[in-house]
Formats: sequence, structure tokens, C-alpha cells
Amino acid sequence: MPIISEGPGELGRKFAAEMDRLTWEKVGPMGLENAARNRALLDRGQSIAALRDAPLATGDSAIVIAAGPSIARRDPIRAIKASGYKGAIIATDSAMYYCLRNGVVPDLVVTVDPNFLRVVRWFGQPNLDDEELHKDDYFRRQDMDASFADELRVNREITELLRRHGPQMRIALATCASQPVVDRVIETGMRIFWWNPMFDDPDLPESKTAALFRSNRLPCINAGGNVGTACYMIAHAVLGKKRVAVTGMDLSYYADTPYRNTQYYTDLVEIVGEENLDAVFIKIRNPHLDAWFYTDPAYYWFREAFLELAADAECVTYNCTEGGILFGDNVRFAPLADFLRETSKPGTGADVAG
Amino acid sequence: MSDVLKGNFKPQNAVVVPEEKPETLEERFERTALKRLGGSIAFVSKKKVMWDLKDKV
Repeated sequence: MPIISEGPGELGRKFAAEMDRLTWEKVGPMGLENAARNRALLDRGQSIAALRDAPLATGDSAIVIAAGPSIARRDPIRAIKASGYKGAIIATDSAMYYCLRNGVVPDLVVTVDPNFLRVVRWFGQPNLDDEELHKDDYFRRQDMDASFADELRVNREITELLRRHGPQMRIALATCASQPVVDRVIETGMRIFWWNPMFDDPDLPESKTAALFRSNRLPCINAGGNVGTACYMIAHAVLGKKRVAVTGMDLSYYADTPYRNTQYYTDLVEIVGEENLDAVFIKIRNPHLDAWFYTDPAYYWFREAFLELAADAECVTYNCTEGGILFGDNVRFAPLADFLRETSKPGTGADVAG
Repeated sequence: MSDVLKGNFKPQNAVVVPEEKPETLEERFERTALKRLGGSIAFVSKKKVMWDLKDKV
């Protein structure tokens, strides 16, 4: 692969600017196909409208737990448990195992990625074997929840945890979810709340989102590109929570993380070659922490999308990740301990047990 | 082939065959990226939730 002329991060920003289109190409038709297939299964759950302003947990606050690399370094559940927090806990599918193995059953789990591969692993994949593990090193390599690296053991453990807790759990299940995920969710006995992710602007003529709505009459939610942002949107726009903190939403990597351990490493090597990776990874200084992080085009796009959504949200948004690049005008970057203290004050929603 | 197929007339206007522009490195990256990169789902600017088709979202 020839050496390219772009400076550090320049090509990454160019790719990020194209991410709307790239995402549609990658998951759009697949997601709509899944949604069409899942129409036959909608009676296995109910509409997410049933959760609209429902008293999910106590008070007016929620904490989103995503599975970014800060989870391993900051361990937010430790502080949440120690505080006796009684507000809503909303977990991404990828963070569900982190919650359950630490003795926390989330009030709501969210899944949205339509891919047939990998996503079902967050739920415990039936019949996972060595041959399949040999084909894909994603979970061994990735820097999200490092415990997933011990794949067969973890798969057994999460299967057992969901056998035990599944029937008491709720899941906001996107209609675009793949068959293996939907089958597995049904198997676990989780209570299903269906929703449509937006695929495009529903006000446009020929909108695919509007057509999807007409086909199943389910609410359409702007998921902001990824499941963590989908959790955040559901927290305030569906559950009506007025103070929403996100944790594990790094949207980036610690400066000492090798490129090889990043989410899109194999894809980026395929695209630009190992020798050009500096041009696609974007370095960002977090002024709140006076620390550098680096990110890839997809995560950079997620960040821009989140900040736009936060500007329009009818809640106060806190980023309690204590790391990463998600900061901006409409996001209060704060330690998780501060959020837990603030939401425990009398007369502010009383989210913490006495 | 050109030894066998020979023109038997002269066109009135000169035929200009445009040279095929070679793909730039950036175009090549983009073509490859199209197949590999992307988020888990779409992001739609300026929208939140659509409860019904009549909704302001």
C-alpha cells in the first residue's frame, strides 16, 4: 500500500464526513430486511410506547452503561452500587454482561445493530464452538470489555446469567435486529419492547423510516449511529428522564492502546494499510482531564451525532465516563460520584436509597 | 484484431475517445471504505422520536 500524503487524522475526518452514507450502505438494506422478517414476531413483545413516561425505577434520572474501555479502568458499577442509586439503569447489549456479573440487573437493555455476526454473543451464543472462534478474533482483540477475550468461558457464563435473570429483564429490541439475536432474546424470556430505528428523515418523500412505520406502527427513534446513543435517546425521549448520565461512552481509546486493539482495526488496515493508520486515527485532547485520546472515523461520527442530539434533548446530559472524547457545550462532563451525589439530594428526584 | 477490423470510411468529425481517469488513492480508499466502515445504525439529523406519522419529530 503506498504511503499517503494526508497528515495525522486527516483521512479519518474525511471518512467521518461520509459516515451517513457508509452506514446506510453497510446496514440499511440488511436492517430493513430484518425488520420485515421480524413483523411475524411482534406479538412476542409490545411496543416501546408502553414505556413512555413509565415509572421505570425511582426518580427522574437514569444512568446509561455502555461498554467502552473506561469500564475496565473506572468500574462505574462499583460507585453505583456503593451509592445505593435507585434511578433507572439502562445498559447496552455489550454492557449487559458487565452489569450482570457485578450483580446489577439493568432496568432496560437496548440492542440495535442489525448484523448477523457477533451481536448475539452479547446474549450468549448457542452452539458457539472452536471453529467459529477460529474464524473471527474480534472479541479476543477488542478493547471494550476485555473479559470477553476468554470467549468460551464467558459465553457459558452469560448464557447462565441470562437463564437466571432473563425473565425479570426488559429489552428495547430494535425491529432491525438479526434473527440470531431475536431468537436468543425470545429464548431468554426477556420482556420485549419493540421499536424502529430511524433509517432516514421520516419527513422526506419516499422515506424508508416512514414506510417502516406504516408497516408495523411502532415508534421510530433516532439511534444516533450506535447502541449507546440509542440508550441515551430512550432514557430521555421515551422514559422521560430529566437527568441522564452516560458511562462507558468513551467513543475513543486511551493513548496507550495499540491500534490492533481498536474496533475497526482490521477494516482500516484493509482500507489504507498498516503504514497509513496515523492518517485515519484522530487524536483529541480532553481538556477536562488534560489527557489525550484517539478515535477512529466511526467513533468520531458517533461523537458529533451525540453532541447534536444532546443540544436538542429535553434533559440535562452528564458524561460520567471519566475518559474519552465526548465533551461539548451541552454535555456536563463530571465525575460519576458528583452525579450520584446530585441525584441523591432531597427534592431532586431522590434517586438514592437512604 | 486491429489488423482484421479496419475502418472503411473517414468520419466527418474527429472521434475523440476520452482517456479513462485513473482512480486516485483517495477514491480507492473510499471505494474500499464503503464496504467496511459505518456505524451500527443510522443517525438522522434534527430528529428524536416519531410516535406517529403526524408527529413533529
